[in-house]
Amino acid sequence: MTDHAVSVMTRQVLLVVVFAIQLVLTLPSLVAHSQGPAAWLAYGLLAAVLAILAAHVATGTRTPAYLAVAPLAASVLATAALPAGASFGPADWAFGLVGWYLLLVLVERPAALVVALSAHICFSIAWFVHAGNGDVGTAGVVILSGTSFQVGVLVITRVLHRDARLAAEAAAEHDAARAREELARQREQDLKAGFEGQLGALLPLLADLADEQVSVADQATRLRCSVAAVQLRRLFAENDDVPDPLLHELTACVDVAERRGVVVSLAVSGTATSVPTEVRRELVAPMAQALAAANGRAKVSLLRTADEVRVAVVADAPETLPPPGRPVAVTVETSVHSGLVRSEARWRTA
Amino acid sequence: MAHGVTAVLVDDHPVVRAGVAHWLSTADVELVASGEEPEVAWTGPGATADVVVLDLHLAGGTPATAELRRLVEDGRRVIVYSMRSDDEIALLCLEIGALSYLTKAEGADHLVQAVKAAARGQSYTPPALAGALAGDRSETRPALSPRETEVLVEWFQSESKEFVAQRLNITLSTVNSHLERIRVKYAAIGRQAPTKAALVARAIQDGLIGLDDL
Repeated sequence: MTDHAVSVMTRQVLLVVVFAIQLVLTLPSLVAHSQGPAAWLAYGLLAAVLAILAAHVATGTRTPAYLAVAPLAASVLATAALPAGASFGPADWAFGLVGWYLLLVLVERPAALVVALSAHICFSIAWFVHAGNGDVGTAGVVILSGTSFQVGVLVITRVLHRDARLAAEAAAEHDAARAREELARQREQDLKAGFEGQLGALLPLLADLADEQVSVADQATRLRCSVAAVQLRRLFAENDDVPDPLLHELTACVDVAERRGVVVSLAVSGTATSVPTEVRRELVAPMAQALAAANGRAKVSLLRTADEVRVAVVADAPETLPPPGRPVAVTVETSVHSGLVRSEARWRTA
Repeated sequence: MAHGVTAVLVDDHPVVRAGVAHWLSTADVELVASGEEPEVAWTGPGATADVVVLDLHLAGGTPATAELRRLVEDGRRVIVYSMRSDDEIALLCLEIGALSYLTKAEGADHLVQAVKAAARGQSYTPPALAGALAGDRSETRPALSPRETEVLVEWFQSESKEFVAQRLNITLSTVNSHLERIRVKYAAIGRQAPTKAALVARAIQDGLIGLDDL
């Protein structure tokens, strides 16, 4: 049960209790001992408060604390209307009832409740002492039994509240742990799927090499190896946590080509913008293909304007490779001019 | 035209001074003075050199933009020569009135061409600077035509004007005039400077650009 459910239930139960006490226990007592208009005024005041409280409980809104003034006023009116020496006796219908009212109004505010209850009891005792000739023993029993019952209810609601809060915290922690577990599983699955998808060029190559269907003596096989190496290096770079992932992936591809002896220059212009992983793959792929085929020199450039990201490569590459897969998000254009292959991938940011 | 061009170099690295002196000497440009302090461009033979090649990152560490401004306001033709490829600083130097912004990674060829262009009072746009202009997102950037933008981007991407000309099916001189027009458009914005005004005036005189384009 949540904290909120506990407080709703507590108030509903208290409302029923107060209603029952007012109607069944105190009304006969009031009728039996005729006490004048002040007592009836107090009774009416309490009945009005009960109506307001019922409305609050029904709509689930919080009871305003100042409403506690009404039961206290009723306490003063009813106690003052008692005949001399009747305090805490059978004619004192209001003492216990006001306590229950205060409990109902202030059950969410324990400190205020203690203060209001104390004020109510002190006034009743003061009136009892002032009027004189009452039975001190009966008074003590009435005060102790009534008040301890009400305080007992208060303590029980606080314990329920605490338990509900602890249970809610434990449930939230459990949910969070479940969510984390689920996310980690999802992430691992994505990573696996991503690797499998990206490893497309590598796995058949390894199989062919293992089956001795191709030989590294062939130029074509060496080219496939070179393509696979660049793809693999880019894939490793893909999940690195860096401020500019696109540039990071380009640099990784350039690095592999440079290890093969290609002289690559990389030029970057414009400020870094966020590019989704899928789009990054498509932006880098044509350039990675061209770099894998490059022999002598290559120029890689990354340009980021207000509405476009453009990755281009111009390379000494006699072989032109078919693009890996069909790009979805980017436009790829490849052409050959005076022995140089130019390949450009463009992505519109806006 | 190239014969008789004089230049002065301000750079705090002796090896750069020696290298630049050698590059320029092979291209008929006379390096009349060089030194590590900007004073070399204001006194002696350096004061009358046609072109000032200014290293933007002198020993102090902060970019020498104040020096650049003093030289430009005096009507000197300045090429900024920088270690760093920083788009923002490159654009700032053009705004102040430098005729070119070269990074030291760009080779002898670009430097020589920039010096010769500057001696004629013309701009020179090396590939890295073309990239900076293409990636310019500032509010005040001039409106470029689609063709001009394409030339700028292709030149940045390929570093070969012949390649750009072939790609776009235009002549080499058209590539150059597109680049010049772009620079004239940039010269027409921002603060006034004698070199920028001369660039614009010349372009209008030569019919390279109309007043409507500015």
